[in-house]
Amino acid sequence: MLLDTHHDVVTPEGVALHLPVAGPVPRALAWAIDFAIRVAVLLALSMVLGLLGGAGAGVMMVVAFLLYWFYPVACEVLLDGRSPGKRALGLRVIAADGAPIGWRASFTRNLLRVVDMLPFGYAFGLVACLADPAARRLGDMVAGTLVVHLLPETSSDAAPVVVPHPPRVPLQPAEQAAIVDFAERAPALTVARRDELADLAAPLVQARGSRAAEALYAIAAWLLGRRL
Amino acid sequence: MKQDAFVARHRAEWDAFERWLDTRGDSARRARTTRDAGAIPDSEIPARYRRLTQQLALAARRGYSTQVTARLQALMQRGHAVLYRTPAPRWRRVAAFFLGGFPRLVREEWRCMLAAAIMLYVPGILVFAAIQIDPDLSSAIFPPEMLAQFESMYDPADAARKLGRDSGTDIAMFGFYIFNNISIAFKTFASGALAAIGSIFVLLQNGLIIGGVAGHLQAVGRGDPFWRFVCGHSAFELTAIVIAGGAGLQIGLRMLAPGQQRRIDALIEAGRRGALLSAGVFAMLVIAAFLEAFWSSIGWMPAAVKYSVAAMLWSLVGLWLWRGGRGLLPGELEGPQA
Repeated sequence: MLLDTHHDVVTPEGVALHLPVAGPVPRALAWAIDFAIRVAVLLALSMVLGLLGGAGAGVMMVVAFLLYWFYPVACEVLLDGRSPGKRALGLRVIAADGAPIGWRASFTRNLLRVVDMLPFGYAFGLVACLADPAARRLGDMVAGTLVVHLLPETSSDAAPVVVPHPPRVPLQPAEQAAIVDFAERAPALTVARRDELADLAAPLVQARGSRAAEALYAIAAWLLGRRL
Repeated sequence: MKQDAFVARHRAEWDAFERWLDTRGDSARRARTTRDAGAIPDSEIPARYRRLTQQLALAARRGYSTQVTARLQALMQRGHAVLYRTPAPRWRRVAAFFLGGFPRLVREEWRCMLAAAIMLYVPGILVFAAIQIDPDLSSAIFPPEMLAQFESMYDPADAARKLGRDSGTDIAMFGFYIFNNISIAFKTFASGALAAIGSIFVLLQNGLIIGGVAGHLQAVGRGDPFWRFVCGHSAFELTAIVIAGGAGLQIGLRMLAPGQQRRIDALIEAGRRGALLSAGVFAMLVIAAFLEAFWSSIGWMPAAVKYSVAAMLWSLVGLWLWRGGRGLLPGELEGPQA
């Protein structure tokens, strides 16, 4: 699909990993949260270390250095690809082959923030992110990494148990899948929305509204292999 | 096969795999402490995982509903993450990298390193020589208050003072060197991704500044304290700048001329090398910061001691980069040579 923001990776087993890549907005928000955390840590430390004079200033610089360059790296590798900001936004950094990110890849992608930040406010990274089908900034391209959405755990609701009924005409596989998907998801929708969607199948079931939905449930049950 | 029958047949298998992922898959630390007798043995996991991917392919092909494929997809993704994760770094491997792998990598990129060295040293030496001929040139490079500051930092009249600094204790200066120098080195490397322009710029600029400061101090007769200050840590610092610049040049070159690779593959290779080189540069600059803060600044040390230590450090760095990693490193298999 043209508008789909999924990135498919074919694994060694020959099966495609279907990765929902994250666009610039959630990533920018996650960055802002991480930035606030870093500033807060630095401020809190500066109050303590400020009392120590010159030595405190030295330690402070070292901490600032580590926070600037290694905070994202440590978060990504030790916290499973999720810094606190990314956790809040439901994002995760992974290697482009779908595996967890390692030290070197994380170090690379964060070093190249220098370039993505140019000329100001991550403009370069934003352009790369919008132009790339996998929404990668330059650092992600060079490090071979992706930022993906963590999908919420889907509770696997089964289709409603009704008396199965075969469809009046043979259906294409995609049509079958659409009807089963409908039956599995419709119970979670409002009645009005459910009936509205069921109306789309009016030519097939020759009914409208809730009668159409009932008929689709019956076809779905038949397609799922349930027999009386 | 109808979807319900498919699910009924394989559900137990999927549940078992999920239980294994929950108990042993997510964190290596938890896996070491738990002994779940009921779970699948670890050795069976790769086979189980392959079966799962097969079932997912079947499910997708037969047009089973999203509920089923999504569950399989999620299980497979978690399994993939466990089976293909990067192995944790071993301390022995890390040490072997710094002793051997890094010099080897530097030698592999020797063309870029040579180019970077030329870009740093040639402008520096030219400016230094020019200022010796016409001392007024230094005021064309630096504003007068900066020149005054340089001069006061290397004031030989005040023997008790620390060399090379206006104020600040050793620890404060150590923090400053870490923050400042390593940030510059990282930026020198990373800005190479802008078609190498950033690295070239930083190298030339640093060459001019270093040459200018050295030339000015030499010309006004403050050469001795200056050389005593810089001779030691410069072995690590200047070499690290050159390597960071070379790492930036190689990424820029691979971006401009990827050769027979796809550009993205060339970039990934360049990024891998650049990150490893930057890790080495990082270590070198930490050493340089220690030397600069706690050794180079000692004002009373006789020049002879300073210079012999410096000669030792320079040869150490040279020997390390020249000979390091000539043998096999731990973690490398014996090559195919008979």
